[in-house]
Amino acid sequence: MKKFGIAVGVLVILVWCLLPVAWIISMSFKDELSITNGNPGFLPSDGTFAGWENYRAVWDNDQFRRAIFNSIGISLIATVLSVIVATLAAYAIARLEFTGKKLVLTMALAIAMFPVVSLVGPLFDMWRAFGIYDTWPGLIIPYMSFTLPLAIWTLSAFFREIPWEMEQAAQVDGATSWQAFRKVIVPLAAPGVFTAAILTFFFAWNDFVFGISLTSTEAARPIPASLAFFVGSDPFNRPASLLAAAAVIATIPIIVVVLIFQRKIVAGLTSGAVKG
Amino acid sequence: MTNHSGDPASLAPTTRRGSRRSARRGLATAAALGLTATLLAACGDDGKPVLNWYVNPDGVATFEKWAEKCSTDDYEIDVQLLPSSATEQRTQLARRLAAEDSSTDIMNLDPVFVAEFANAGWLQEIPEDHWGEIEGDVLEGPAETVTWDDKVYALPLWANTQVLWYRKTLAEQAGLDMSQPVTWQQVIDAAADNGGTVGVQGNKYEAYVVWINALVQGAGGEIVADTEKGRDASVEIDSDAGRAAAEVIQRLAESEAAQPDLSVSNEGTSLGLMYPEEGPGEFMVNWTFAYKNYADTVSPEQLEDLGWARYPQTVEGEESKPPVGGIDIGVGAYSENPDEAMAAAQCITQKDAQVELALTDGLMPSTESAYEEVISDGSYPEDLVELWRTSVDEGGPRPESAFYALISGAIQERWHSPTSVDPDSTPDNSAEYLEAVLKGEALL
Amino acid sequence: MTSTNVPAAAMPEQKSDKPTKKVDSDRTRAENRLGQKLVAPAIVLMLIVTAFPMVRAIWLSTFDYALTAPDDRNFIGIQNYLTALTDPLFWKSTGITVLYMVVTVAIELVIGFIFALVMHRVIFGRGIVRTSILIPYGIITVVSGFTWQFAFSYTNGFVNGWLPFIGDDFNWFGETTPAVIAICISEIWKTTPFMSLLLLAGLAQVSEDMIEAAKVDGASWWQRLWKVIIPNMRAAIMVAILFRALDAYRIFDNIFVMTNGAVDTQSISFLTYRQTIEQFQLGMGSALSVLLFLSVLLIAWLIIKLFRVDLAQARQEG
Repeated sequence: MKKFGIAVGVLVILVWCLLPVAWIISMSFKDELSITNGNPGFLPSDGTFAGWENYRAVWDNDQFRRAIFNSIGISLIATVLSVIVATLAAYAIARLEFTGKKLVLTMALAIAMFPVVSLVGPLFDMWRAFGIYDTWPGLIIPYMSFTLPLAIWTLSAFFREIPWEMEQAAQVDGATSWQAFRKVIVPLAAPGVFTAAILTFFFAWNDFVFGISLTSTEAARPIPASLAFFVGSDPFNRPASLLAAAAVIATIPIIVVVLIFQRKIVAGLTSGAVKG
Repeated sequence: MTNHSGDPASLAPTTRRGSRRSARRGLATAAALGLTATLLAACGDDGKPVLNWYVNPDGVATFEKWAEKCSTDDYEIDVQLLPSSATEQRTQLARRLAAEDSSTDIMNLDPVFVAEFANAGWLQEIPEDHWGEIEGDVLEGPAETVTWDDKVYALPLWANTQVLWYRKTLAEQAGLDMSQPVTWQQVIDAAADNGGTVGVQGNKYEAYVVWINALVQGAGGEIVADTEKGRDASVEIDSDAGRAAAEVIQRLAESEAAQPDLSVSNEGTSLGLMYPEEGPGEFMVNWTFAYKNYADTVSPEQLEDLGWARYPQTVEGEESKPPVGGIDIGVGAYSENPDEAMAAAQCITQKDAQVELALTDGLMPSTESAYEEVISDGSYPEDLVELWRTSVDEGGPRPESAFYALISGAIQERWHSPTSVDPDSTPDNSAEYLEAVLKGEALL
Repeated sequence: MTSTNVPAAAMPEQKSDKPTKKVDSDRTRAENRLGQKLVAPAIVLMLIVTAFPMVRAIWLSTFDYALTAPDDRNFIGIQNYLTALTDPLFWKSTGITVLYMVVTVAIELVIGFIFALVMHRVIFGRGIVRTSILIPYGIITVVSGFTWQFAFSYTNGFVNGWLPFIGDDFNWFGETTPAVIAICISEIWKTTPFMSLLLLAGLAQVSEDMIEAAKVDGASWWQRLWKVIIPNMRAAIMVAILFRALDAYRIFDNIFVMTNGAVDTQSISFLTYRQTIEQFQLGMGSALSVLLFLSVLLIAWLIIKLFRVDLAQARQEG
């Protein structure tokens, strides 16, 4: 009886989580022409299966490719920089006593809750003054700032679980705090850092508000913004099936990461609270 | 629901039922454009300045061709694609210009935004000697759209207008004499009584304002007057004309002739209902591109049944004011190469380019001489081209104001959805609201 | 202010494993300096993008200032705030935002809890369940918005065909109520995984012994759930509510792609975005930004006070 309940539960979870994914994939195989004429139903109706047409069309679209390139570049740079900065801060928070620690944690929490939209107006104004409007740095900087709280929290939770006796042992052997950090803790903390990096990447990859507000051309426009402005051959209606194909392409990196690192991500999101 | 505006700016020649081939071609062009863009930007090409031309995504292939033709030994023109909604195009361009971007050289502007851009100092004035040369040739409607504060700030590229498209059999069945001017009431009743529908643009976007504006002007009124006073313009929609407009919208919304997606309808959604699988078809107000759309997609017999007439009257006996739209070319005030950009803009708007846009993309020209050439080419029925020209010439533009975006937004806010329009309250409410928005006393 | 209490409680204050008392003051000072050096870059970065623009927003909000008419900038004091706060649209947007927040968080809490229970107990196929639950979490919100928009579309979607009592040509985005439902579903689908993972973490903290003891005492499954499990994971539930509520209050992406704010679906974030980015009304937009920020603080404070959220407990036991 209980086993049965869990089996049903598992099934419900799978359907709930994957049905929309299956739907967008199915949509991406509907013929573009049939979409404009109306093609209701979960699966492409008879004779409207487009094969890889939509994918080819999207991939041939230079604006989309450029957006993918922007997104990958911007997200990766933001992730690397953010994780480096967060690692330093998280180490200090987890291990050192210093004045101002409360301030860092306060700030991290406040920023995690910050309504992003309330910043884009002033940021737009500032960025155009600094000349980094519609550039990669113009997006990397806000992405870093907004991923720091998550990264700091995740990392400090990980760091707290590290066997610190080893650091103390190193310090007893005459190493300074810095040496102990670099030689002993960094290798131990690497898995946690990696998890933080994945979560940070997800955030940057997902961002939309900064993406549409702080860019205006394909010079820096990331995927989510590019999807929202996607133009098909029919200017009046969204090219739904092309968009679906584009959406699937944009989701593939996420699915790959999830498939490989699911355990780490869960651990990271719940900050190490879940075993196994 | 969608942010694709069907404003003139986003009218494409490719179609709702566009062939697979044209979709292919569009994408291939976009790809090619992007590629050249990257290459050019990358190498800077033996020191020749590169002029960026921001275009709306219709007729892109033609734009690209003319970008190449108008490039000279001194500069190269590089096409950059804007989003498809007119509102979104404005936002993207305005953001760049507000940032005093020196790489915004040439831009396709929806006529309604010329005033705003000129007022903000974002556009170069068109030299008097050039304007003097072409002024006599430019149709009156488009000429008005490029003038702000007695100066000329843009060059008309194409001029768009709406006519009433219908199925001849449906009109016959209803006993409607289409050789005479018809009213909205007649059209709605004729469709409703015979199982047909009426296609309009009722989504919450720019083209809905196009409809409302045409209805108000058709009743002899204005949404706002004295627009040169900016925020102090006088709001006039709370008038008999405003109420007449609201009556038409209410009549359609409550009629059997309303299409099921009335509140989210755009220029594309109603195209397909002209030749539905069942039923007699529709009456539809739509831009010039509709003809080419049907010519490319329906059978010759079906096309034979397609009729066109002047935009319907709001009030019986009072001449209708067909909407006027199109695209004007502006030159950025912060351009690094202002003279070259101005020369390029003049080249792009020349007669041959206008004719080509009309013949290949269904985007009608803004000058007399180009119209003559389109007629003599014979690709379009002559009476249709004449109807377009009259409509552009006698049509009514939307309010020319530096605060047009506010005006349009406020109207959309209060008049959407069409099903909620009530002649007794909507004009009154919207006038009050528009006044408050213009004065900065209410949020939009 | 409120938020200062939270991290103060949230920080790992006790370091019993570390003999801080014994070290001499030189060492303490060195540690102090090192600590500050290590956090400095993070602080600077966070300030550049938040505090500095926020101060600027406060300053700009006292002007009547539109980018399209840059020469007409006038100081008007608190007029923008008065206008916003007396404007029906502001309150309507706030109201709809609160509605989004309450509805999505309440539903997610239930669904998320059920998911967490299943995940907690499942042995066979744990990897598959975890992977599939992470996919909505990782998917771009805009993509989620499109997916559901197309699903609800009467021309190309499947929802109308699957739902009984709903006509095949029912237009979900033509009126406020169905449009809000569609937006909420998109939001719930996308963010339930996050909720359920936080709850799963809380569930893992509940001691099995206590549940066993209750079982021995003859408590039914239902009683064990309400008397043992839920009270013991209260902290985790509250943290999940707090995080998701603040996140839901910022809802923007789905609305942008699904309705673009039509039929009265615009949230307060969307309103602010339109003022600043679409209308270029930097003065009024900045005032709205400040109000939005204050309302988030207020909600955080309310949730923390009302539910007595103990972040320290939730984080510490992790």
